[in-house]
Amino acid sequence: MENLFNSELKVINMGLEEFAETLKERGTQVIHVRWQPPAMGDDNLLSLLDKLK
Amino acid sequence: MFVKSYIAHNTFRDSVYLMRLSNTVRGFDGVEEAEVIIGTDHNKKFLRSGGLWTDEIEKEAGANDLIIAVRAENEEKADKAIQDALDELNKSVERDNLQGDFIPRTFETALQNFSGANLALLSIPGRYVKREADKILDSGLHLMIFSDNVTLEDEVELKKKALEKDLLVMGPDCGTAIINGTPLAFANEIKQGKIGVVAAAGTGLQEVSSLIGTLGEGISQGIGTGGRDIKDEVGGITMIQGLKALINDDNTEVIVVVSKPPDSTVTEKVLKEAKESKKPVVINFLGGKLDQVSDAGCEPAATLKEAAYKAVNLARGKSAASDESEMKVDRAMLAEEKDKLKNGQKYLRALYSGGTLAYETMILLNGKVSPVYTNLSFKNAEALEDVYKSKAHTVIDFGEDEFTQGRLHPMIDPSLRNSRIVEEAKDPETAVIMLDLVLGYNAHPDPAGSALEAIKEAREAAEKDGRKISFVTTVCGTDEDIQNRSEQVDKLKKEGIIVLPSNADAAAFVAALLAD
Repeated sequence: MENLFNSELKVINMGLEEFAETLKERGTQVIHVRWQPPAMGDDNLLSLLDKLK
Repeated sequence: MFVKSYIAHNTFRDSVYLMRLSNTVRGFDGVEEAEVIIGTDHNKKFLRSGGLWTDEIEKEAGANDLIIAVRAENEEKADKAIQDALDELNKSVERDNLQGDFIPRTFETALQNFSGANLALLSIPGRYVKREADKILDSGLHLMIFSDNVTLEDEVELKKKALEKDLLVMGPDCGTAIINGTPLAFANEIKQGKIGVVAAAGTGLQEVSSLIGTLGEGISQGIGTGGRDIKDEVGGITMIQGLKALINDDNTEVIVVVSKPPDSTVTEKVLKEAKESKKPVVINFLGGKLDQVSDAGCEPAATLKEAAYKAVNLARGKSAASDESEMKVDRAMLAEEKDKLKNGQKYLRALYSGGTLAYETMILLNGKVSPVYTNLSFKNAEALEDVYKSKAHTVIDFGEDEFTQGRLHPMIDPSLRNSRIVEEAKDPETAVIMLDLVLGYNAHPDPAGSALEAIKEAREAAEKDGRKISFVTTVCGTDEDIQNRSEQVDKLKKEGIIVLPSNADAAAFVAALLAD
């Protein structure tokens, strides 16, 4: 855990964009991922894709 | 009335953005109801039951499409509202382009383009969390999971994996944390300092850290665990990891633990770890046994306020206990409020946005006023049959699922609570309306201003009937928060609202006002 506490925070934000915006505004290093449900949101297709991996 | 829809294919926006946009569209001229929403089966059912259904939605909208559905006075106004909603959507795209920021679509792409990332903040729908979290942990990043609706099995698996890799998983359902001085999600701006907090209680962490900040001390780390961490099944993995990390952290001199009483095996583990700490450990197991904590050589705190005061005293090299941490009820203020009330005005209506704060109030009212009805799970209270209808003394947490399905959290959008304030004032049995105003990042920009609009309307309604209501509030936050705590407090006091320095003080005041 020391590696986290003793280094500058660099955040990957996935989901709510506002979380990234507020971090950016206060000067925290952040990258926002505009995440979308995988497999077009189709759960059956997603489980098939997962099996292929 | 005319219902019209528009399907934007292959378009996705996050839920908070869409709920805000929905609110905006509802405010357009001639619009009665509107939703801007992703076309999942669940959401489509919601539109159908809400009278926002069209053939187009039925035939064309899928889970990767964005639906704008509007019910308006006439076709012209529906068309105009849809066009204006689309303009808003396009503006957000233009803003992205203007800022020139690279916005990746996957974690892998983000990681490739952002070397040295050490923490991921996940706020995606719960059923997708495990997939993404596995990748994040495998890449060696610490993780905060804001999302709820993650299964207990997934939580256990993720936390076990993280433990093996010496990584932290805060959450699921972790609404707040402060890491290296950085407030994450719903957290307050507090200077860095010597006190480390680990909490399985969201607004508990906000209240303790804000009080510490207001008392002039600072926070080294504020670690959130998520509420289920303290269950036997999870075994307090994050709480123990957090506690150990704070014990080993050179910048932490005093440790505070805040949570509901953990399951017995977890309590044992936490107390064992705390007992071995050379640093003082203050523990507030909300409503838990205090002697169990002192037997382990730790400082017990009965309230969040006491936890903050004890930690501050210890950080200043003093003994933990102090008179200041006790709740003092101002007798003159109490008499003045009692004078306002007429015979028959006898009940409390506590309308909360912070779950832990509501829970702490339940503890402090217990045995003093009864019967208390609530939507919280609390041993000695009655469950509200209909959460939209208060009964006797009522404590409501508006952050519970029944109020947040398809709606913004009350800390962001207090409109549901605001209308409840007015409704409660119309009840001749209402004596006191109690509110928490939670400040910080991502919360409403002016909670006091918003509450005051409702209070004004509530007062008018009560006064029409020859009654006065006592309004008792607490403001959780700091002067460094964007909303500025002092300014929020002044705004309320100027309108004759009682503002007490902590939630515990507010609960004690109300208990004294309404004691059986």
